[in-house]
Amino acid sequence: MSELLRVSGVVAGYGSGPAILNGSDLTVEPGKIHCIIGPNGAGKSTLLKAIVGILKPREGEVVFEGERLNGMRPDQVLRRGIAFVPQERALFPKMSVRENLRMGGFVLDDRVELQRRIDEVLERFPVLKERADQLAGTMSGGQQQTLSMARAMLLRPKIVMLDEPSLGLAPKIVQDMFDIMKMLRDEGATILLVEQNAMMGLKNSDWGVVLDLGRTLFEGPAKEILSDPRIQELYLGGRSSAAA
Amino acid sequence: MGHTLQILILGLCLGGVYALMACGLSLVFGVMRIVNLAHPSLIIAGAFISYWCFTLFGIDPILSLPISAAILFVIGLILYKLVFEKEARSAKYSEMTVLLTFAVAMVVDGALGAMFSNTQRVTSPDYATDAFFFGTIFLPKGQLYAGLISIAIIIGLVAFLRYTRLGYAIRATSQNRAAAELLGVNVNFVSLISFGIGVGLAGAAGSLVSFVFSFFPAKHWEWIAILMSLVVLGGMGSVQGTVIGAFLLAVISAFVGAYAGATWSTMTFFVALFVILLVRPQGLFGEKPEHV
Repeated sequence: MSELLRVSGVVAGYGSGPAILNGSDLTVEPGKIHCIIGPNGAGKSTLLKAIVGILKPREGEVVFEGERLNGMRPDQVLRRGIAFVPQERALFPKMSVRENLRMGGFVLDDRVELQRRIDEVLERFPVLKERADQLAGTMSGGQQQTLSMARAMLLRPKIVMLDEPSLGLAPKIVQDMFDIMKMLRDEGATILLVEQNAMMGLKNSDWGVVLDLGRTLFEGPAKEILSDPRIQELYLGGRSSAAA
Repeated sequence: MGHTLQILILGLCLGGVYALMACGLSLVFGVMRIVNLAHPSLIIAGAFISYWCFTLFGIDPILSLPISAAILFVIGLILYKLVFEKEARSAKYSEMTVLLTFAVAMVVDGALGAMFSNTQRVTSPDYATDAFFFGTIFLPKGQLYAGLISIAIIIGLVAFLRYTRLGYAIRATSQNRAAAELLGVNVNFVSLISFGIGVGLAGAAGSLVSFVFSFFPAKHWEWIAILMSLVVLGGMGSVQGTVIGAFLLAVISAFVGAYAGATWSTMTFFVALFVILLVRPQGLFGEKPEHV
């Protein structure tokens, strides 16, 4: 199995508090959608934060394309090709859609190239093009999430990490989000997402990771996880809902 | 009609100066959540620089404005490094900055008082006591020049914030610090520069204030309440809101002064502060404290 990102035995927590991750493992393959599921407090979001450098792993290592990321700042991780969309979407509410996209390419020094990429992203997402001059804070939740994802794509990252992209969105909009992820995957992007709606996340993913109490319990093709009776019982709300 | 127009013109001229006095305060709060109670004392420091440039070397306060702004900018950088940087990650940062900036105000007040005494001063270039006359309407040159220069500086500041890379970084940091950091903005550097710019603006305002108002080191106690009312009315952290708030309150206070007497003019600011805090605490152009 080719790997783009490898997380091995990571132990991490907030400040000097107890560890949330207690030896998490994860392998990310290129060109796939990976979904991390698990109960509340399993450490799903914490794992993404440890990868992206918001939290420093106390033990273990995070390796991206053969390079160790431990100890790097978020902007250094970003420059290496890992974009992160946090749970709260992290937009700039009083900036327009276009300005938010411009911030997405803040680390790009070439202004002409940045403008070209903004135009390219706006072409790809008509809902954003129509609202290019609208303030981000005045858009709907779904439009804001689309903007977050589009902004993350601006640097053409090798991996896009999304923390609970469906949070607070209507079911129809959630499916639209997953359709966008599949479109990006089909264009060659690699996606790693954390999803509280485990069923929905796995159904729309290629690879699944089950995390509980800060440890990786299982990794495998999403279809296998969906059909595993034990995982269905413990993490997917029982056999009947999994089959639905 | 002529009387009303006269009051309106005077109010607008003063509004420009108030706007410049307050927008540095607003910028610093917006980016770093520092409630800079020392801001007016730093305006007075800027006023003293222009005063002495004029008194000792005959340099016009408008010409010494860049000198005053540059010196205060450097003082701002030093202050931030010495006083605020270490506490920037503290959970109680904003609350602590109230005490810290209060202490800075006391030190600046004390230092200026020890050096120059608490005598009332005013810089007196010829235009400060001259006026343009249009029939029965007069335009005091000093207030007009100060107002126009203030507006020009504010337009420059807004253009800088809107169109430059550093300006984008400052706006982004003020709206969502964590997100800006995730996108590669060096938020510590942005905070340092923003504080420097905020204090530099205090220096620029001080140069203009030096020939519009009389000043002395302890005058800042009076100004802080006025400036806070402008910033709160516009919306804490919103430079545009502060500018609009400044013009609005300056004009209202000019009318109150003209019709109810000068004693009541200052009251306008305090009443506005109370009302806005009761009715719309986020100000006219601010937003409730929540992130997207």
